[in-house]
Amino acid sequence: MSTDRPTDASTTPSDRAMGLALHMEAARKVYQMADTEIVALDHADLDVAPGEVVALVGPSGSGKTTLCSIAGGILSATSGRVVVGGVDISNFSQKQLTAFRQSMVGFVFQSVNLVPFLTARENLLVVDELGRRTGAAARKRADEILADLGLTDRAGNLPAQLSGGQRQRVAIGRALMNDPKLVLFDEPTSALDTRLGEQVMGLIRSEMKSRNIAAIVVTHDERVTRFCDRTVHMIDGRLDGATPPAMAQA
Amino acid sequence: MRIAWRELRRRPGRFGVATAILTLIALLLMFLGGLLDGLIAQSTNAIDAQRGDLIVFSSASRESFLRSRIDATTADTVRSVDGVAEVGGIGVVQLGARVPGNGPRDLAAVALFGFEIAPRGVPGIPDRGEAYADSTLKQEGIRTGQTILLGPARTPVRILGFVDDTNYSGQGALWASLDTWIDVLRSNRPQENLADGTVQSLVVRVEGSVADVAERIDLATNGETTSLTVSQAVDAVPGVKEQRSTFATIIGVTGFIALIVVALFFTLLTVERTSLYGVLKAVGARSRTLFAGVVLQALVVTAIAAVIAGGAGLLLDAVIPSGALPYQLGASRIITSIVLLLVAAVIGSAFSLRRVLKIDPASAIGSSS
Amino acid sequence: MFRARNHGLPASVTQRVFLALREMRRSKVRFGLLMVAVAMLVFLILFQQSLANALLRAFTGAISNQTAPVLVYSVDGQRVLQGSIITPDLEAQIASVEGIAASGRLSVGTFSVTADNELLDATIIGYERADLGAPQNLDEGRLPDKDGEVVASLESRADGFDLGETVRVEPGGLELTIVGLARESQLNVGPTLFASAATFGEAVKARNPDAGALLPNVIALQPAAGVSDAELVERVNAVNLDLDALTRDDAASKTPGVQQVRQSFNIVFVLYGLVVPLVTGLFFLILTFQKANALTLLRAIGAPSRRLVISLLIQVLVVLAGGLIIGIAGSAGVTSGRIGDLDVRFEWGPAVFWLVVLTVLGVLSSLVAARRVLRIDPMAATTGAGVGR
Repeated sequence: MSTDRPTDASTTPSDRAMGLALHMEAARKVYQMADTEIVALDHADLDVAPGEVVALVGPSGSGKTTLCSIAGGILSATSGRVVVGGVDISNFSQKQLTAFRQSMVGFVFQSVNLVPFLTARENLLVVDELGRRTGAAARKRADEILADLGLTDRAGNLPAQLSGGQRQRVAIGRALMNDPKLVLFDEPTSALDTRLGEQVMGLIRSEMKSRNIAAIVVTHDERVTRFCDRTVHMIDGRLDGATPPAMAQA
Repeated sequence: MRIAWRELRRRPGRFGVATAILTLIALLLMFLGGLLDGLIAQSTNAIDAQRGDLIVFSSASRESFLRSRIDATTADTVRSVDGVAEVGGIGVVQLGARVPGNGPRDLAAVALFGFEIAPRGVPGIPDRGEAYADSTLKQEGIRTGQTILLGPARTPVRILGFVDDTNYSGQGALWASLDTWIDVLRSNRPQENLADGTVQSLVVRVEGSVADVAERIDLATNGETTSLTVSQAVDAVPGVKEQRSTFATIIGVTGFIALIVVALFFTLLTVERTSLYGVLKAVGARSRTLFAGVVLQALVVTAIAAVIAGGAGLLLDAVIPSGALPYQLGASRIITSIVLLLVAAVIGSAFSLRRVLKIDPASAIGSSS
Repeated sequence: MFRARNHGLPASVTQRVFLALREMRRSKVRFGLLMVAVAMLVFLILFQQSLANALLRAFTGAISNQTAPVLVYSVDGQRVLQGSIITPDLEAQIASVEGIAASGRLSVGTFSVTADNELLDATIIGYERADLGAPQNLDEGRLPDKDGEVVASLESRADGFDLGETVRVEPGGLELTIVGLARESQLNVGPTLFASAATFGEAVKARNPDAGALLPNVIALQPAAGVSDAELVERVNAVNLDLDALTRDDAASKTPGVQQVRQSFNIVFVLYGLVVPLVTGLFFLILTFQKANALTLLRAIGAPSRRLVISLLIQVLVVLAGGLIIGIAGSAGVTSGRIGDLDVRFEWGPAVFWLVVLTVLGVLSSLVAARRVLRIDPMAATTGAGVGR
């Protein structure tokens, strides 16, 4: 897949890359469809520092999803370099990517967030059960996170018994469970009204900042950008450079 | 895997369909097995009940209880063989019994055995003219203390009590002394008259190696006798081997059908969970873990089906009057059926493996952008 | 010309069939598994049906396919040929009955016989008159003319009972030459030999020189003109309670064990038969739930319910037809030849019966899914509720 990267251990990533939550360098994703090539991501360069909240804005089909998938280790880039939390995942195999995702990345999906037959608490514990299995430690952490998110009295409820906003918070909680370096949010406010959307974004911002976790928030919604440190635009697979930081709410 | 377990507990309805059909198939398996065991028992448990290690037949009779003849001298030869602890003669005659209270043409089919070594369940050798009856004969109206009339000569025999599980060729056995048997035979089957002291076969109790003594006996009689273990004698009853192999084929194919059903319904379930699996994979679940969950669920569903079917099968066994249908469900048959089903479940769930492997974690992101 | 391209059917029908089929092509595994399940069930049912019929034929074929229309047993025989004995005075009583055109004695016994250097059990049936007791289905050779000649059951050919072969009764060594082969004329699932009464007597004597006078087992009767078989049976039974007269067919079907075998197999058939509509119906029900959104959408854009239901039924029929054809073909392929001692053969009667029954049951079972399809509310497309559980 990656054709012109340094891959052996003798090459150390630059100090800058080491310190960043995400260092994406000339990342490219090309799909072969019959006899045509589809370039989903075209030489994307993106650096995100720990604790930084970046909004990723662009029309449908602009490649936002692809970029997030690559940053999150769900997809491998065709070429380019991807370093997350100091780990160079550019050439990782599927197995390595899976292990990587377990421990380093969190996701909050737009739909199909939670496992419908698990309680809020159990949804948080899913990450631990699939990965390291720390048992009691994980349960303690889950309870702490739930408390942080104001969901302690909803811990035993099934998703169907929670409101849209509460479900979103549980999803955020799950993304935080494994203490990731980077969390990817896909349209977190699309199903919520303005007031709830602002609540959720405020929560996201405070959680990311307080834990020093980097976040990329994919969104259509211009209202969301208020809560982010900076906004990055994408069109046709290309990033157009960072716009100056928007006014951030405390 | 715990996720799979929780799904079972929290969403049992989802698995209801597969469980229902598997229960039916499991019931089929148990019923077939019970039928086979019942058919064979009905033909042979009188032999099985013998308290001996060997049954000795005359070689010319080819292991047929009915045709075998052992005269007194041969019997003595057998007695003198090294390792033989006890020898008892056995004779059998099949006839119709007229039972007081039954219609004139409504005869009960019985197999009258004369014995010297009491089989399992028979308290001792009755006096001349008396016999113990197999409990299936209760269905024919036979009662303790009654005198029934055997055969065209209407030889009277008084019933002393009942014994369980002694049938031969589908008929209930009567257990009497050799004297009684020979009386009945001579009166009713003059053509099959036997010299004094002749019996049909011998039940032999052995000290030491059964196989060795069997060889020695046949050697001592110059090959005039064929000595079989009790289970070999059971298998030699006409029809038993064929029944076993035919039923085994049918049961095997039925197990295969269970496999296909598991494969079918778990494939459907997996399709329904594609997006869930996508999310879990994105969060870091390995295909192996997800697949193990599928296998676990298939096993649990099948186990439940097997238990319900087993219960129903046993209930059937208790409810069916012994004699109406040749059906008998024993522990080993239930266990074999359950094992077959569980194996089918594991293999059947493997059909979902490819699908689970193919699910792309990327599908979880941006489902509507 | 357009119509010709659609094989003479209106375009809408062929369209619907192709749409239904296209969906099946896309989900080959699912539909394939269902078809395989149905095929195997059909196969098993037909296989067991053939087995049951072959078993019963091999059990009592000799009775069903011999020439005597009425057989008189002694009651003590309990409808087993060998268990019945007709004493001289019983014989006299039978003779006294009005309406008998002819009567002949039948003797039946099981003997150890050497055939092809192997010792086997064979049943020998001795008859006095060829028209009262000889086999009807003489496929090869002829009936015996003289002593020492026998007709053997065709199915026993492989055991050494072939035309022209000589077999020996043991002990004693009496030789019997096979001059004819008869189809479906076995008794007790083993080699069966038909001989003259005299030959039978010789065999008995050879085996057991001390045997007393030979009494017949059964008296075979031919009713006189104007008297039906059933009437003659009644008249004989009325004469003496120790007599048990039966028509040929009754004698076969009322042989002990036959009813039990039939009953047991019938229960098995019912159970297997139930599995087919259950699996089919539930499969399509689940599929309908899974396609809920797509179906709701189709309804919302104007597809009539009827069309969706017809599409469903087409798929049901294709699956059932496929399963039935494969199952029938499979059982036809496998069930021809010997299984143990049985001559199993594929029978069209049961195949057609189960074809009809399973198709009807399968379609009926899918009506549950059809009902769900009909209940889809197109409005739900806008709210996203769909079929819902």
